[in-house]
Amino acid sequence: MIGGLIRIWDNLLGRGEAAVTVPPLDGALCPNRMLDEADQRFALADVDCLAEVSGELVASAGSTVYTLKNGKDWNKRKDYEAEIACIASVGGDGLAVALLSGEIVIDGGTFDGRRYVASPDMRCITAMTASGSTLFITNGSASHGPDNWQLDLLQRNASGSIWRLDLETGTVTRIAGGLAYPTGIAVVGDRLVCSEAWKHRLVSISTSGIGEQEVLYAELPGYPGRLTAAEDGFWLAAFAPRSQLVEFVLREPAYRRRMIAEVPQDFWIAPKLRSGRSFYEAMQGGSVKQLGLLKPWSPTMSAGLLVKLDADFQPHFSLHSRADGATHGVTGAVEHQGRVFAAARGDGVVVSIGLDEIGDGE
Amino acid sequence: MTPILELRNGTKEYRGVPAVKDVSFTLERGEVHALLGENGAGKSTLTKMLAGVVEPTAGEIWVDGQKVDLRSPLEALQRGIAMVYQETSLVPSLTVAQNLYLADDKHFHRLRGIYIAGQQFLQSLNFHVDPTALVSSLGAGQKQMVEIARAVHHNAQVIIFDEPTATLTPEEKHQFFSLVDRLRERGVSIIFISHALEEALQISDRITVMRDGQHVVTDETSSFNREKIVQAMVGRSLSDELYGSGRDRKVRRAREKVLSVQNLSMAKVVRNTSFSVFAGQITGVFGLIGSGRTEAAKVVAGVLKRDTFHGGQVRLYGRPVRYRVPRPAVLDGIIYVTEDRKIEGFFETMSISENIYLAAVAGGQTRSPVISMKEMKSIAKQWTDLFNVKAINGDARVIELSGGNQQKVVVAKALVQKPKLVIFDEPTRGVDVGAIAEIHQLINRLADEGIAVMVISSYLPEILHLSDRILVCRQGRVVEEFAGHKADEHTIMYAAVH
Repeated sequence: MIGGLIRIWDNLLGRGEAAVTVPPLDGALCPNRMLDEADQRFALADVDCLAEVSGELVASAGSTVYTLKNGKDWNKRKDYEAEIACIASVGGDGLAVALLSGEIVIDGGTFDGRRYVASPDMRCITAMTASGSTLFITNGSASHGPDNWQLDLLQRNASGSIWRLDLETGTVTRIAGGLAYPTGIAVVGDRLVCSEAWKHRLVSISTSGIGEQEVLYAELPGYPGRLTAAEDGFWLAAFAPRSQLVEFVLREPAYRRRMIAEVPQDFWIAPKLRSGRSFYEAMQGGSVKQLGLLKPWSPTMSAGLLVKLDADFQPHFSLHSRADGATHGVTGAVEHQGRVFAAARGDGVVVSIGLDEIGDGE
Repeated sequence: MTPILELRNGTKEYRGVPAVKDVSFTLERGEVHALLGENGAGKSTLTKMLAGVVEPTAGEIWVDGQKVDLRSPLEALQRGIAMVYQETSLVPSLTVAQNLYLADDKHFHRLRGIYIAGQQFLQSLNFHVDPTALVSSLGAGQKQMVEIARAVHHNAQVIIFDEPTATLTPEEKHQFFSLVDRLRERGVSIIFISHALEEALQISDRITVMRDGQHVVTDETSSFNREKIVQAMVGRSLSDELYGSGRDRKVRRAREKVLSVQNLSMAKVVRNTSFSVFAGQITGVFGLIGSGRTEAAKVVAGVLKRDTFHGGQVRLYGRPVRYRVPRPAVLDGIIYVTEDRKIEGFFETMSISENIYLAAVAGGQTRSPVISMKEMKSIAKQWTDLFNVKAINGDARVIELSGGNQQKVVVAKALVQKPKLVIFDEPTRGVDVGAIAEIHQLINRLADEGIAVMVISSYLPEILHLSDRILVCRQGRVVEEFAGHKADEHTIMYAAVH
């Protein structure tokens, strides 16, 4: 009763849960143009996930896995019968490929050729990471596939889960549930660190699933995605920025229902991997007057953000592509041969920056 | 030619301790005379004697060739001597126009008349201040303008400016210098106290330097340069210690996020602003007056309230907080060190010990559950020794101290409460170069100890020298962030005005 009254009061005044606020991009997340200014750019339409296998960089796009040859061109490594949800290196020389059909295929390494059907509940595999013969898998949503992530956000679901797959026996165990779209996972000792996109945070969970969840980093100004280990920390790909407009829409259930029912998905007020290409997108016709000049204006629904985290999962520095950039929707990153490679799905490109070129602000 | 104002062998003692010792000073007609000196050098005391605020213990004052006894500021004003104080002496509950006409019984109550006259007068000075506005609603820069306007309004032949430009924006400073030129052309003589040495070199005809209450040197401005003045003031070169090597140092790496301000709004002053402050770092905030930087800091500290509807969020260590008064903020470890120390910084009639002890009590940092004189003295001694506060003893009233020492007491009051986040608003405003170095060292030490420090300053060299990261405010919001070692004055100022 009292909780309900507080919620009504908060809704009226825009406070507490109803505060339409977004944390600032500052400090270690201070915007720059490093993703756009990367000295190497490799176009690959629909590129989604990156991994390093047998010393080679591999990328998934559509239903195909590609390898970057000679640091220049993409070579087709293998086609799969269904769209690829994500890939992960297994033991350094094997590649685990999760398909939208719910199957997980291993290519190369100890478990070469094995196929696993994880679980009928896992139709939204978003990320995987291997530790020995165990594969940890995040399932973003129980009700939508990975292509419908915007809908999952707008419905404010929290039906994601984390699973453990024993590659030896094929046993699948659910470790945690009720997560708000888990999209990235990393193993640190006997703990798993998972990025919970719709709650904009990183949480630590025991690999056994027993015990309390611990929030490592909260209040991200973007939607956190895949996590990959780096030489001295981790890379976190944030696939879309948060905005006050989206936060506002998320607090208006009736509006969302009508928008979902009546407006084509491309024009929803929701974060995107790439926006600003159509004048029909909401608010594109907005404008502000600044210093006497009428300027076109709209809140961006997409951007590029790759965050370098330290060993404690606190942000150290970040690489950005701003609203007018061309490296939006970063869905994965991996370190390879002294460089960091970032897959920008929004713009269909993989960019590469030398680690020694990245200033850390010190 | 007879000097318009002269002090012959002036001495002023407080409780037997001389603040000014046997100083002779002359002010020629139509000249701008800069009076410079370190913290506690006696500049303010000297000018207070000339303005009738304090009576000299020994010595004579001559006005236009006549020996006079100035027993009150009103007497001095009647003889054409007006003083514009370092901290404004306006009545906050009255309007701008009422303050201008405060001593004018005939017109004071005719509101409509004084508003029209006030408007015309302020416009003639090119000061954009609403004569009907309450002084309490004005920013520090606008209050300073009203102070200056009041002195000019009284048709003074001698105007004493004590740190007139400390709170002014670059544009306002330009206007002020033009005003000084116009006054000089009208034959008005000006005594100009400033710690901005470049300003003194720029606008004065002669410079007098004081040290430890004594006269050191008086000469034509053309014979001085910055280095020579600093050496005369402090007997050592401080330029490197102050602002010289800011860009060569290594910036501190941010630790934990202590404060996250998200889409904060307050009236039309703070507009949807967002920023973070991290532990172990100095976050410098630069912005012109009216950019909302002070107001945003005051909302964080509970001095001001954010908008009732959709006013944004303030998070301390990730926890949403909303302070309606400063006390819960203080208890949570947020300390705001005010830019207006005389009004908000200390109890001027209380002693140094009482002020510091009071802060310790407010912050729950005392051992004794009841007021303990012994603990009061011990805490006060600890902090006055640490900050090198120059006073006879802890029983001296804060109002009797020089600006720099007053500021040290204000900072001591803040730190005695063991803060987690300290917001310094203009920490060295009206403070001499020697004390500036000490206060800067102290701020750096706080950050080194892992405390989150926010420094708001209008003085770019200070921001560049101190900050690990620099936020620039414009029109009520943070518009740009720079790494401390990569920024320069030009880019910061560009962000602040464009």
